Amino acid sequence: MERSSMTFWRRFRLNDIMWRIFRFFILFGLSFIILYPLIYMISRAFSAPEDMNDPTVVWIPKHLTLSVIKETMEVMDYWNTLFNTLILNIGCCIVQVISCAITGYGFARFRFKFRGVLFGIVIMMILVPVQIIAIPQYMIFRYFGPFNLINNPLCMYLPAAMGCGIKSGIMIFIFRQSFRGLPKEFEDAAYLDGCGPFRAFWSVLVPNVKSSILTVFLFSVVWYWNDFYVSSTFFDKNQTIALSLKNLNTLLSQTLFDGANVSVREQIVWLEAGCLLSVVPILIMYIFLQKHFTEGIERSGLAG
Amino acid sequence: MKHFKLGFEKRRSLYGYGFISVWFIGAVIFFIIPLVQSFIYSFYDIKPDVGGMTGEFVGLEKYNYALNEDANYRSYLFSVLKETFWKTPLIMIFSLFIAVVLNQKFRGRTFARAIFFLPAIIATGPVYSIISGNMASTGSSGSDSFSTMFSSDLFGKLMYFLGIYDISETVTKAVEAVENDVFGIVWNAGIQILMFMAALQNIPSSSREAAIIEGATEWEYFWKITFPSVSPMILACFIFTVIDSFTDPKNAVMIRIGTMQIDWKYGEASAMAWIYFAIVLASVGVISLIINKFIYYEVE
Repeated sequence: MERSSMTFWRRFRLNDIMWRIFRFFILFGLSFIILYPLIYMISRAFSAPEDMNDPTVVWIPKHLTLSVIKETMEVMDYWNTLFNTLILNIGCCIVQVISCAITGYGFARFRFKFRGVLFGIVIMMILVPVQIIAIPQYMIFRYFGPFNLINNPLCMYLPAAMGCGIKSGIMIFIFRQSFRGLPKEFEDAAYLDGCGPFRAFWSVLVPNVKSSILTVFLFSVVWYWNDFYVSSTFFDKNQTIALSLKNLNTLLSQTLFDGANVSVREQIVWLEAGCLLSVVPILIMYIFLQKHFTEGIERSGLAG
Repeated sequence: MKHFKLGFEKRRSLYGYGFISVWFIGAVIFFIIPLVQSFIYSFYDIKPDVGGMTGEFVGLEKYNYALNEDANYRSYLFSVLKETFWKTPLIMIFSLFIAVVLNQKFRGRTFARAIFFLPAIIATGPVYSIISGNMASTGSSGSDSFSTMFSSDLFGKLMYFLGIYDISETVTKAVEAVENDVFGIVWNAGIQILMFMAALQNIPSSSREAAIIEGATEWEYFWKITFPSVSPMILACFIFTVIDSFTDPKNAVMIRIGTMQIDWKYGEASAMAWIYFAIVLASVGVISLIINKFIYYEVE
């Protein structure tokens, strides 16, 4: 008995050490794959255009410079665009998360006629890409009763508030799955204590799916930030960061180069600077949320 | 007593309608009407006009064009379907594995997590496609050196070292396809990792303690506790992965549809899109039904 437990522990420790080494190599290698394009981006954003024609420069630029980034900021009208994007982004995400959570709960916990058919619509919303419905949607906002809502932020806010924003379908789906995973006793207890369904939803169920809410909110922020297709349908001007990055090529040749001949290789410097500028704000936001996310994990672990 | 029960059930179903009502109105205005319109367009020769679209009815002509006359559509369709079907299981296995690893306690975990979620944040936007385009255009200093250093050589040698190099032609080919696309898999798995991690965090730590006391090994713990607990997420993850690859604006079919729209051949574009989605819808539906049989829900 004693001996077998000794061998068990020895094997256990050996396995443990092997696993640690294996884990380290896996994580290190994959991290490298992920970071490779980003290292490339940073390296190019800080180099001067002439470095692109120098074969001896591989990663570290010879002429370290900030002027390219400054020029790109001017071309993109960076601070104004950033402010516009943040207002649009955060507003849409908050209303979208709320509307999707309510809808997901309705689908998870109530039996009603046509539930299957209505949930089929949610699945369709996941399946159908925006490209298909973009032009009819444009027509709806162009002739929205007596109004022309094109170029008005309302044409992003309205669908988001009604649970039909960018990728709302998948969010409703995630909320439904996580509400279904909760034990039914939660609500029964709340009902016995005299709560109505809305109160039970708000004060009992919502606090229990906090980690799902944070995940969905993170998705939502990211998707709205990265979207250029929907906003290019509804906006004529470059009102968001993703849109002005997508059109950075044209913007650069219109304003900065002004007819001067800049080779494709040299243009990479400005393009990568634009990429860096549009990634940095979302990265800062992400680091901030990441911290909350890990805290949420440990709290739910303790609660369980 | 019976009366009260019926009333209660009925009230509950009314509350159900209450919870989904806002979404339903939105879905009718912003989703169903545009969808029906786009379906109608696929039977018409469409032109934009003041106040809406005008056109004449041409029947199935546009569908015929998409399937039989367009030079590239059919081959694009097959290649996209094939790629999605072999990539989806790989992405899901990979992301579940990484999520389990990142859920363990080790030094530098927060940092590792931060790196693995990065693709989820960047990959959907214009940034990644611009960077990979630039990397390809600078050639030797970018992706080439990376691939010789990382995928083919190193991996091949490792397989040779382990003695599992030349089992059969098909295995070697399959392995090669995977290793050449390791970039695509890793960069497309970010959100799936996040979804699995959220599911893993909802497993109470008491179940782990109970399992250790009962003498379960890691392997048993994974199959008996972890896997059933994340199984609702597997369905969500599967659907997400398939749809993400089908609706990716960078895939060949979507590019073809996009160029048709730019040329204002909106009837043809709609017809192509509808053929594409009939196939996607059918395959996702069938596989979801199969997966749904194996899912474990806390509440039935």
